[in-house]
Amino acid sequence: MSAVTRLSTLLIAGAVVAGLLVAHAPHAAADDPLTVYTVSYPLAYFAERIGGDHVKVTFPAPPDVDPAYWMPDANTIAGYQGADVILLNGAGYADWVEKTALSQFRLVDTAAGFADVLIELDDIVTHSHGPTGEHSHEGTLAFTTWLDFRLAVLQAGAVEEALSKRRPALAKELDANFEELKADLQAIDDAISEITASIEELPLVMSHPVYQYFTRRYGLNAVSVHWEPDVVPDAPQWLEFEELLQSHPAEWMIWEGEPLEASVAKLAAAGVGSTVFDPCGNRPEEGDFLAVMNENVENLRAAYED
Amino acid sequence: MIDNLYLAWQYVRFNRAKYWTLVACITLVAFLPIALELLLDESEKQLLSRAVTTPLVIGAKGSSLDLVMNSLYFGDEVPEIITMGAAQDVAETSLALPIPVYVRFRARGHPIVGTTVDYFDFRGLDVADGRMIAVLGDCVLGATAAQRLGVGVGDGVVSSPETVFDLAGVYPLRMNIVGVLERTHTSDDLGIFVDLKTAWIMQGLVHGHQDLTTVEDQQLILTEEEGNVVGSPKVFEFTEITQENLDSFHFHGDEAAAPITAVIAVPVDEKSGTILRGRYLTPEAVHQIIVPKEVIDGLLTNIFRIKNVLDAVILVVGLATVLAMILVFALSLRLRRREIDTIFRIGCGRATITRLLAAEIGIIVVSSAVLIGALAAAVARYDHALVRMLFIR
Repeated sequence: MSAVTRLSTLLIAGAVVAGLLVAHAPHAAADDPLTVYTVSYPLAYFAERIGGDHVKVTFPAPPDVDPAYWMPDANTIAGYQGADVILLNGAGYADWVEKTALSQFRLVDTAAGFADVLIELDDIVTHSHGPTGEHSHEGTLAFTTWLDFRLAVLQAGAVEEALSKRRPALAKELDANFEELKADLQAIDDAISEITASIEELPLVMSHPVYQYFTRRYGLNAVSVHWEPDVVPDAPQWLEFEELLQSHPAEWMIWEGEPLEASVAKLAAAGVGSTVFDPCGNRPEEGDFLAVMNENVENLRAAYED
Repeated sequence: MIDNLYLAWQYVRFNRAKYWTLVACITLVAFLPIALELLLDESEKQLLSRAVTTPLVIGAKGSSLDLVMNSLYFGDEVPEIITMGAAQDVAETSLALPIPVYVRFRARGHPIVGTTVDYFDFRGLDVADGRMIAVLGDCVLGATAAQRLGVGVGDGVVSSPETVFDLAGVYPLRMNIVGVLERTHTSDDLGIFVDLKTAWIMQGLVHGHQDLTTVEDQQLILTEEEGNVVGSPKVFEFTEITQENLDSFHFHGDEAAAPITAVIAVPVDEKSGTILRGRYLTPEAVHQIIVPKEVIDGLLTNIFRIKNVLDAVILVVGLATVLAMILVFALSLRLRRREIDTIFRIGCGRATITRLLAAEIGIIVVSSAVLIGALAAAVARYDHALVRMLFIR
């Protein structure tokens, strides 16, 4: 083979390789998994279920914090800034987002579609100054929206819409995944509706004011106190609780986490049972959102059947 | 030849004033068009490179040049303010990524650019030192801005009040420098970049103050109504954002109504860009959409029109200079007639005398050429800074 032929062969081969690389480049970008950051675990779970292998979901809150009140550090914020989609719960959940430099156009408020049914808190003192209206720095809305599983379905739908918008070619697959998730969420909704309908107006006490949507959706006769599962309530809290029982003879307290034995025993002495309905705002130590919710359903069933 | 050069050199050394005058004349006349050409080439390059990489700009109807100069080069002229709604409208079309910019405030002469983090990705800006803006009050500086202000990561920079006598106007805000950008040799080197919400803090739309529901100083409370506390004018608004008071900052009003100066729209593809442009061509459209390259092309056409006039002037001046020099040489020869006669009498031929005079002219021309080369090299070396100083600012 002469030098000229060898050179020509090399040039043609080079051109073919370069052509293939150029032709392949745009597809590679479109095939890259979408980087999704979320502000709560339920949204991370929804995104993982809907997006499957086409998304890389990150929920960076440490396991020992409440994501609603957590403030990420600069490095974590940089991670959010690099995301293709940032899923927000809405309703004022994780209001650190308002204080950080995140692109508004990557944020997806999953509660935007049902803003008219959000629950306003009535025990918040607002303030006003200048020509502006009343507002509160702590937020004026209840935010654990996903505990109303019909709203959770709507939030999952918003996640599916956001992902499909960015990956239109995958819309069919994402929609199929969403339908599966929707069925699971509806099954939980049906189960809770069935359980709570068995004894109407059963007086309940919620250990923390995070069950507003849950209470409304399932028509519960519930009153909230402000107790922590890992702290034994002090004397004034007990006194307040005893007074509450006079007007609201609850037989069960629903905790957001496993309560201390001492608290359970003291409640039992007052004739109040303890059960757990974990809102699952943060990633559970074991299992996933669905597993935790199914366990919650069983806990609730046991309480209602008792 | 060396002898001729030696004699010519001795002659010009003896007649220094005449030599330097002639060198200065030739240098100036030749250097001026070269320098102008170099600077115009550089300004064209700078203006166009930024304009070409900015596909579309949306802003208030009015001067498209002011809009481009403010949005792309952070010029002093602030175009009419538009609202964030304009950026949200673009986002809703899904045809382009909107990057809102708010270039209104300044800090010690440097433009404060309120924008979103998408801007840094779009311009390919990386942090050379420190980190990217993360929370309200953070800012990153362009390399030149940091150098000129003599500040770095960990320092602060205070925004300048718009007017000294406007007590109710924009308050100075101390911004925390968290990063310095890599040098890009563009307008970005001069900017102080903050999140849009930080720019709105300067305008009072986002602010932080003591918690009125827990304050002990009753003078801060105007009235206490059921479930609401009304603050008095004495309520102190924070002028620096710290970890401690960050939580107290909040936005007032509808974010869609918040001010910006322009939206840089980055279309998904060419077709999307065309469709988007079409939407702003209707008579009902309240904003204009412009292709910065077209605006800059128009500006450059005008600049080159002026340059042609300048070229003609320089040509005439050059011609006059050449004629003046010929006159100077002719007069010089007449004055040196006795000297030339003496050279002739001591045995030099006419050719030698011609070579001697040519060597003198050659020394002057070469000296001018060296000077022009040195000056042109200096202009070429600093053309970027000169263009920024003289034309773009």
